[in-house]
Amino acid sequence: MDDAVEALERRIDQLRVAVREAVVAGDRDGARALRGELKSAERAWEDALVRMEGGAPAASEPAAGERPGRHEPAGPLIPLREQVHQALSLLTVPAAPRLIVTVHEAFFAASFPVARLTSLRRDEERSFRSAPFARPYYICAALTADLLAPARGLLAISTWPMEKRVIGPLSPRVHFLTAAIRVAESIERIPGSDPDVRRLLWRFAANIPGAAGSAAAMEPRAVAEAARAELEIHEAADLDVRRPAAQRARRQLDDAAQLFGSRLQVSQPGRRAARQRGTAS
Amino acid sequence: MNGTEAWLARIRGRALPRSHNARTIAALASNPGCARRAIMDAAGVDKQRLAAHAGFPASFGQSRFALTRGNAFEAQVKANGAAELLRLLREHLRLPIPEASYDDLSEVGGNISLELRHVRTRNMLARAARSPNDARPADNARLASDAGTMFDHPLLRLEVGGRYAYLEPDLIAFQIRGQFRVVEIKSFAVIDGRADGDKVAAAAIQSAVYVLALRDALAELGIPPAAVADETILVCPENFSSRPVAASLDVRKQLTVLRRQLSRLDRIDDLLGLLPGDLTFDLDPDGKGVPQRAPADLARAIRQVEARYAPECLNTCEMCFFCREEARGRTAALGRDALDDLGGVEQVATVLRLVRRALETGRPAPGPGQEPGQNLGPGSDMAEAADLLRTAARLRAESLGEAV
Amino acid sequence: MSTLTSLARAIAQEQQAAQPITTVRHVHISHRPFVFIPLALAGEANAPLAAMAGDDPGAPRLLTVPEPRDRDQRFAFAADLAAIILRYIESYLGDEETAGTTKETRTRYADAPQLLVPNPAGVAFTRLLGRSTRFRRTEGPYAVAESVPVLGRWLTFLAERAEHPASSLMLAVTDALALHWATGQSPMEDLNLGTLLGWIDPAPGLTGVQAAARAEDPVHCPPAGPATDPTFDNEVLESRFLAVRTAKATGDGRAMQRAKATLADALATQLTPTWTLMWRAVDLLRRLPPGDHVATRWNQDKDAFTWHANHLRDGGPPQPRRDSAVPAARRLAGLEKVQAEYAAQRAFDDPLVMAEYRMTGEAFAGTVTAAEPDRVDDSGRRRVLRPRITVETSDVVLAEPGASLTSPARPNQAARVLSVTAAGDRTSVVLELKGGMGRALTPEPGSVPTTGEAVCYATFTDGFQRLPEFPDPEDTPWTHGGPPPQYVPSDDDAQEEWS
Repeated sequence: MDDAVEALERRIDQLRVAVREAVVAGDRDGARALRGELKSAERAWEDALVRMEGGAPAASEPAAGERPGRHEPAGPLIPLREQVHQALSLLTVPAAPRLIVTVHEAFFAASFPVARLTSLRRDEERSFRSAPFARPYYICAALTADLLAPARGLLAISTWPMEKRVIGPLSPRVHFLTAAIRVAESIERIPGSDPDVRRLLWRFAANIPGAAGSAAAMEPRAVAEAARAELEIHEAADLDVRRPAAQRARRQLDDAAQLFGSRLQVSQPGRRAARQRGTAS
Repeated sequence: MNGTEAWLARIRGRALPRSHNARTIAALASNPGCARRAIMDAAGVDKQRLAAHAGFPASFGQSRFALTRGNAFEAQVKANGAAELLRLLREHLRLPIPEASYDDLSEVGGNISLELRHVRTRNMLARAARSPNDARPADNARLASDAGTMFDHPLLRLEVGGRYAYLEPDLIAFQIRGQFRVVEIKSFAVIDGRADGDKVAAAAIQSAVYVLALRDALAELGIPPAAVADETILVCPENFSSRPVAASLDVRKQLTVLRRQLSRLDRIDDLLGLLPGDLTFDLDPDGKGVPQRAPADLARAIRQVEARYAPECLNTCEMCFFCREEARGRTAALGRDALDDLGGVEQVATVLRLVRRALETGRPAPGPGQEPGQNLGPGSDMAEAADLLRTAARLRAESLGEAV
Repeated sequence: MSTLTSLARAIAQEQQAAQPITTVRHVHISHRPFVFIPLALAGEANAPLAAMAGDDPGAPRLLTVPEPRDRDQRFAFAADLAAIILRYIESYLGDEETAGTTKETRTRYADAPQLLVPNPAGVAFTRLLGRSTRFRRTEGPYAVAESVPVLGRWLTFLAERAEHPASSLMLAVTDALALHWATGQSPMEDLNLGTLLGWIDPAPGLTGVQAAARAEDPVHCPPAGPATDPTFDNEVLESRFLAVRTAKATGDGRAMQRAKATLADALATQLTPTWTLMWRAVDLLRRLPPGDHVATRWNQDKDAFTWHANHLRDGGPPQPRRDSAVPAARRLAGLEKVQAEYAAQRAFDDPLVMAEYRMTGEAFAGTVTAAEPDRVDDSGRRRVLRPRITVETSDVVLAEPGASLTSPARPNQAARVLSVTAAGDRTSVVLELKGGMGRALTPEPGSVPTTGEAVCYATFTDGFQRLPEFPDPEDTPWTHGGPPPQYVPSDDDAQEEWS
């Protein structure tokens, strides 16, 4: 083997030990610096190897028995925001990124990393602020009923009525049940039963009383019925909170805040929040 | 900043303060007699850094795989309005169907300030506790949602050694029939109805910390402690899957222990009073943050604060190797049993001196007071201990055919 | 612990070297043990990450799991492990021997396998690995390799035996070492194989303390598992996993090979030092002379091994998830009995263990000061040989007149206490002996202690104690849940997630 490669390997081993020693010593800065050195040593090693193997570019022959992952980035034929729009339109309620991804995988057979959704809302907000209502819809926030602030980790569609986008304490349950009904109904519309879609429905059904005895015995119609039965219990109380909050939002918030929520400032929370609600930023 | 805080800040030096959590409080309570840990934690000292700089690094990190798994399981149980947790509570505690409300207290309008969150937590708890939930008709969802059922990420605080520590619990406080319960979500598995005893014990003591903090919060609102159940709910994955199961944990014993230990934790002011005014654990960092303080000097400073080392510290405290080295030669460092087995004699050297003298003269060693400078533990009877040790040494020598 | 052990710890602390607490070895060490060092992925219930295994110190087998969260890879690991462990176990299914009393004989395998893991956590891992594989089906949905459930049943059997105090079929090496040596550290620290061996057998030029301190540094001396060092996970393992995932995603075969190889290299660095320690421990234990009862207990292990092998061969069901009431009670009582018997045997084999009982007055040792070896008792219907001896001791004597004692030197002879007389710090005990002296009215030479002989008498025996009676499982009282159904693994068992 190449001397340079061997020297690099020794260097990598030493650096790895040094990083671990720094971590044990609670020396965060030191560990960070060493990690940087380690990374560049590793890169140099990779390059040296590729050179040694005759400069063959990586990503050539797939090894026997190594199948690529199921959901490969098939190239973003549809922009991310549209994929999210598809999933949310199916669910008809605000949802967390993970659920959006799972629904999209199950029904539209395309996947995208959950992490990409975290920046989506911010991008949408930026786009809206630079040119309000330039797009037919925006992926926006759900608002908390009490402070009309963006609800943590939920995405919604801007064209939905405000009542649908404000969240009271019972709303997460109402959303869950509504989503279950929508997934069950969508399954009924598709002929055959895709295992991914059934698995998705089972994740709802398992947590709804009387929905299904087991994954195998699950009937979409029965799941929807059970979900509706529980939904009826919560709906009115949920609306009692949402309706006045939605009115308040429409009255107090400007366009951007209605879509993306108002935020409290760190200092003097009460006063600033009130002012912000009135004038918005 | 009051006098105590200024004092503690000086002890900490220029390093950023580290805060208490349920685990550090549990650890502190397991060894309440240790002034060193009490002071360091109160001052928010980075013990790992300190121990390492003094020459005794101890690995106390957590594997990222364990963290990832723990977070993923927690997120799963709490996803979609805590749908999985709700099912467990309905099955396990017959939570009525209408009670499904879920309040996220992890931020207040996008703001994550601790004080703000604590205020909001208290408000929510107060509203829940004052709702007329005893006579709640099962079908009246309106009242149920008023009171609230599940509270995610409440921010509590607990008085530890005379100062408040905020607790950032990854738990849901949940309210049923007018009583709150602490729910703790842990990612260790329950297999065929059995879980790792140590992990359950650790979870129980942490839950107890939250119960105490919850009771404190309610007490400030004039609500009696009975409003928080002694039973907490532990949610863990079942068998080898990630399907959650719930179990009740009775933490009455842990509460008693904690309360007693916390009250015994001397008020931090009293401990500070015993220390030299110029004491500091500052590492004297240079412009790049590299410590310039001589390790021996730091070690001298650390030794100014008395420690109480026991082998259990190895599981709970970053200072453990430093303190163990300091405690070398003490029988307690050989394990809790050793001190008892050796008749309560605190120093290994004393044990062996007693043994050898007895063997040489064939007579028991001198009684209390006759051997100056020997530090015997409280309640240790020197004559009795010497007798016991003499017998043990004689039998050992006889059986091995050699002297001790 | 006990005063004697703690005293030995104190001496070890002072001498900076471990001290023996036995004079003989109390566990069986096979001439060809199988060493198994499992590593688990942190945070998961029972996700194998890697293992080093084998019965040849010079040829360890390294097994790795490139993606421990992948169910298929876990079962592939189980199948790989089965290939090695089952071949080892099956090598004991050949030679047989005859055992039992002259009236009732049985055949059993002439030797048995022995599984060694580093520590009690290794036993727990093995038990769970057994639990997660023994119910699997080899056909239909979620089928696994045929060897996997068989491996699960053997691992379950061995892990159950490891709970048996008298069994050596599976040993946690730290336990085995700590049974024979006291270190100058606490029992909790003794669970670390590296520090324990540092105290017992430090590298040349090091004291026990220094060697132990060196072994405590997880960066240079990897822990013996199953838990890995967090800094290894975070700084080494994570990036290696990432390389494997990346290679898979891009379909780059060469990169995949390289990624797997570097992952295996990294895991080997965490396992090889422990592999060396394990065999060093085996050598140390082998050097101790075995106690007299070790072979007796190993014969029981051979019986248990034979029974389980036959049970498997005859198509018996796998061990249930949980014991039902009667087997559980029987097992518990069985363990208590075994525990008592094992403690007594150790004391009879080893004066240093017997010394523990002399501390508490349950045994005493001294010198025979008077003996009437030919004394005949003719008060009854038949004249019988009943020699008397007087033993003088400086031990505490708790036995009272009428008590029956046994001496390790003459375990078949009962000694009845006639009188106990204390004078100063010495005590005289008069004993009447019965049995173990031949059939005549004069004792066989050497069967009665003579004046001046050093003797030891205990209030317990190493003999067989009857098990309490338990109803057959079919007759389990309703208060204990009624008769258990025979355990038939369900679809659920077979398809249980392992993720």
